[in-house]
Amino acid sequence: MTLTLPGTSPVQKRKARRSRRRAGFDTPLGRTVLQAAAVIAFFAAWEIGVRMGWISAFLVGSPFGIFALAYKMIVSGELLSDTWYTLFEAILGFVIGTIFGSLLGLALWYSVFVARLVEPFIVAINSVPKIALAPIVVLWFGTGLVSKVALSVSLTAIVALIAAYQAAKDADVDLQSLLISMGADKHQVFFKAVVPSTLPSIIATFRINVGFGLVGAVVGEFISSQRGLGHLIYTASSLYDLDTVWVGLFTLMIMGFVLYYVIDLIERTSLPWKQSGITHQVQV
Amino acid sequence: MQPAPVQLSVRNVTKSFSGKAGEVRVLDDLSFAINERDFVSIIGPSGCGKTTIFNIIAGLIEPDSGAMHFRGEEIESLRGRVGYMMQKDLLFPWRTVLGNVLLGLETRGVDRAEAEARARDYLKAFGLSGFENAYPKTLSGGMRQRVALIRTLIMDPDILLLDEPFSALDYQTRLYLEGVLKDAVETYHKTVILVTHDIDEAVALSKRVVVLSGRPARVKIVHDIDIGAASPIAARGDSRFSGYFHALCAELDIQTEKTA
Repeated sequence: MTLTLPGTSPVQKRKARRSRRRAGFDTPLGRTVLQAAAVIAFFAAWEIGVRMGWISAFLVGSPFGIFALAYKMIVSGELLSDTWYTLFEAILGFVIGTIFGSLLGLALWYSVFVARLVEPFIVAINSVPKIALAPIVVLWFGTGLVSKVALSVSLTAIVALIAAYQAAKDADVDLQSLLISMGADKHQVFFKAVVPSTLPSIIATFRINVGFGLVGAVVGEFISSQRGLGHLIYTASSLYDLDTVWVGLFTLMIMGFVLYYVIDLIERTSLPWKQSGITHQVQV
Repeated sequence: MQPAPVQLSVRNVTKSFSGKAGEVRVLDDLSFAINERDFVSIIGPSGCGKTTIFNIIAGLIEPDSGAMHFRGEEIESLRGRVGYMMQKDLLFPWRTVLGNVLLGLETRGVDRAEAEARARDYLKAFGLSGFENAYPKTLSGGMRQRVALIRTLIMDPDILLLDEPFSALDYQTRLYLEGVLKDAVETYHKTVILVTHDIDEAVALSKRVVVLSGRPARVKIVHDIDIGAASPIAARGDSRFSGYFHALCAELDIQTEKTA
């Protein structure tokens, strides 16, 4: 038998809680509606501002001009070709840089001596703004694909290296001791305890590095190139063609956005042991 | 009754650590012997070096001097032949229950199919069938420590080194796991060295209790526990239980007065 006191029946309680959520907008659909409204309002304000002459279309472009141009560029295939080119450079740089950096960082676990020896050099290399290397990279690797990939690698590898090395250093010593007491050798400790425990950190760097991969590709294209979104933006801005610049920028934004969620998916599927069915949240 | 032969003897072991405040001597000329199928508890003031003893036996650190003999033979350590269990269950979070149980056999290079069959038998014997593919974070503390116990036993170690394995658990779970441990030790004919803070647990489980002095650790006295009850809970009801308990408390109290 259940006792129900007036005013505290489960149904009413649930209702009371729901009413505290901002008028039903705190649901997936409600949030999407709000977000879409914000985007539309932003572009509307921009367009109205330009039409009323409050802001200069010459300096900021106009939403209608941008959409019309984007449509034209998509139909002509010009935009897609530039997009694929930049995306390919960025992903190639990201993958090579992340693999190379992570393996090197993990390998440093094997020798404390070597790790201590090279640590100041890693810090030194990391403290150089890698973008400053762009002109040299173009000199060394030419104006084609390789120089952009090389720039992306230089940006991503060091991040991956430091993260992997730090995670390997922080790997639970007790788990390693346990393996040693079981008779495991150094390689077994490395592959059974160190590598798996570094995976969350290494995958967490994917998020940062996928962005750096794009930075490398675009900056490389700024310096010298014949193709890609960076090339598109750079040449258009030198001609004061702001609509084209915006088309390039928004395409880059969408690209980064999609990549972020791809990484998110990789993170969720590759570490099933990290996932729990329940998410705890504190109500303040 | 013939006394059981000595299985492991630790003789004159000394160990110092260099810290910020200079050299700290943790073990000073420590000697004790463990018999075949013994169940020895080691109690002593906290920080007296109990874990250091285990680390030396398990081969995780080297003693400064002293020797160890296993069944009469001089050995460096029992690395690979001990089952080490700590307060933390130390389950590998990225491995399932089955994967964790298989850890030691994998390290040894046992054939996968054979190892898995053995693991499933053990899991069944300890009432964990159906949890093979669960990740440790989804299990309760008591279940996790049971998995850790299976992982230890499946290696068929010569000696179990248990470093406060139940101290992080609530009292009921602890009582239950003490029973599981006692049964397992009987079933698989194991020798156990148990480090504990819990005098009650030491008396209820052990055949002998070694009392260590404060740092540097020396053996102060060894008490034989003559209860021989069927279970740790029955032992707590034995008429001699409180006698042993108070005797051991007295040993430890004297030390705290001395060191205070």
